[in-house]
Amino acid sequence: MPYQTIEVTKLTPHIGAEIGGVDLSRPLGNQQFQEVHDALMENLVIFFRDQHLTHDQHKAFGRQFGTLAFHPTTRDAPDGHPEITPVHADENSTIVIGDQWHSDVSCDPTPPMGSILYMTETPPSGGDTLFASMYAAYDRLSDPIRQLIEGLTATHDGAFSYHRRFGHAIPEGGFPRADHPMVRTHPVTGRKALFVNENFTTQVNGLSKLESDALLKMLCRHLETPEFHCRFHWRPNSVAFWDNRCAQHHALWDYYPHRRHGYRIMIEGDKPFYRA
Amino acid sequence: MIFFRDQHLSHDQHKSFGRLFGNLALHPASRHSPEGHPEILTIHADENSKHVAGEEWHSDVSCDANPPMGSILYLTEIPPAGGDTLFASMYAAYDRLSPPIQALIEGLTATHDGEPVYRGRFGYALPEKGFPLAEHPVVRTHPVTGRKALFVNGNFTTRINELSRLESDALLQMLCRHAETPEFQCRFRWQPDSVAFWDNRCVQHHAMWDYYPQRRHGYRVTIEGDKPFYQA
Repeated sequence: MPYQTIEVTKLTPHIGAEIGGVDLSRPLGNQQFQEVHDALMENLVIFFRDQHLTHDQHKAFGRQFGTLAFHPTTRDAPDGHPEITPVHADENSTIVIGDQWHSDVSCDPTPPMGSILYMTETPPSGGDTLFASMYAAYDRLSDPIRQLIEGLTATHDGAFSYHRRFGHAIPEGGFPRADHPMVRTHPVTGRKALFVNENFTTQVNGLSKLESDALLKMLCRHLETPEFHCRFHWRPNSVAFWDNRCAQHHALWDYYPHRRHGYRIMIEGDKPFYRA
Repeated sequence: MIFFRDQHLSHDQHKSFGRLFGNLALHPASRHSPEGHPEILTIHADENSKHVAGEEWHSDVSCDANPPMGSILYLTEIPPAGGDTLFASMYAAYDRLSPPIQALIEGLTATHDGEPVYRGRFGYALPEKGFPLAEHPVVRTHPVTGRKALFVNGNFTTRINELSRLESDALLQMLCRHAETPEFQCRFRWQPDSVAFWDNRCVQHHAMWDYYPQRRHGYRVTIEGDKPFYQA
């Protein structure tokens, strides 16, 4: 795809590209916005270096792509910026968010379309993030397994992750919980993506517990295939923008006791659907 | 799966009973046949045994292109306690799968390989033509009853042919675990001179070796079967 207003350097054939020639602190022009969006659709996750964003600029960039979403467990948002989730780890951390393959808040009936993470401090080494193409994961399943899962839905349960793993108290209305198709048709590209993850997906509906556990475990193992991945090495002031509808990610916490700090916003998404 | 008590059978009578139901089959790994009776497999365990036949869930010789229809085991000596055999209905196992998994496996075939069992586990030398290896439908239609039965087992089934290795391992492991559900089983307590006659097309069995160093002894004949098929 030819780009005129940005530079696009692919990290791998399936997923990931670094974008140059853009200052995210200022509103994108029409063509540049279109090309950034195209690059995201083509590469599933895009990266920007050397950006300097205030909270307002970070949010303004996100709003060009949609309405900002609130994360169900954010307790420490910066004053006046409830849409911003600080992402932080240091020598006092006992657990770090995102250290398991997942698609953000897939337990929501309308999970966020994308997330934009702006990292301001990085450890001396480590703290990379892995991203996996769920298009590639779907494409590389055998025909019988694709046929099986195309007809099925799965339960994504926020309590499974937020309460049981991370120890957040259950809020008054409970954590989000939703049924989604296991194969999701991307609303923009029309491509099919595997849409289960080990962080939130608890049960394949219509299968026995034994069958469901075996299938989910196999699928989650399958999506760990390195050929579906790219690995992003952060620097201070790097930005990653990923499409939760077709990518999963896994934040590596290999840098304890060092400090890593940044901010994330999410953009609202639509209800996942499957179209044959 | 039927049982008879207090039977007294010579080898010839045992074989005659079997022949009422079909031709007798020769077991591919039978080294222990009584003189003049190659169709008879001696089943024996005592204080010198390192392994016994049938310790894992299986359908007899499912690695054969035409696995035996049935097996008739006649036990003459049993330990003071233990040595029961578990039998599991593969009709029940199939029936209790969810409809999506039934639909998945009805289109699939699997490889049943004799070598890992007969050589790998029991240390038999590789025969000239190799151990039997066959592909069978994962769901087998019983040629007499017309019912559908799950037809994979932990002993012989190595691969679901249409799936990737990862997918195949996950599905086989799940199906074999499912086939172990106690609700699908009966447990037979042997007495001396008991006979068990099972239908390998719809039953798996598992011989328990919980009686070491005691002695258990008997004879088995197997009856030839047809090529497994699936009919929707």
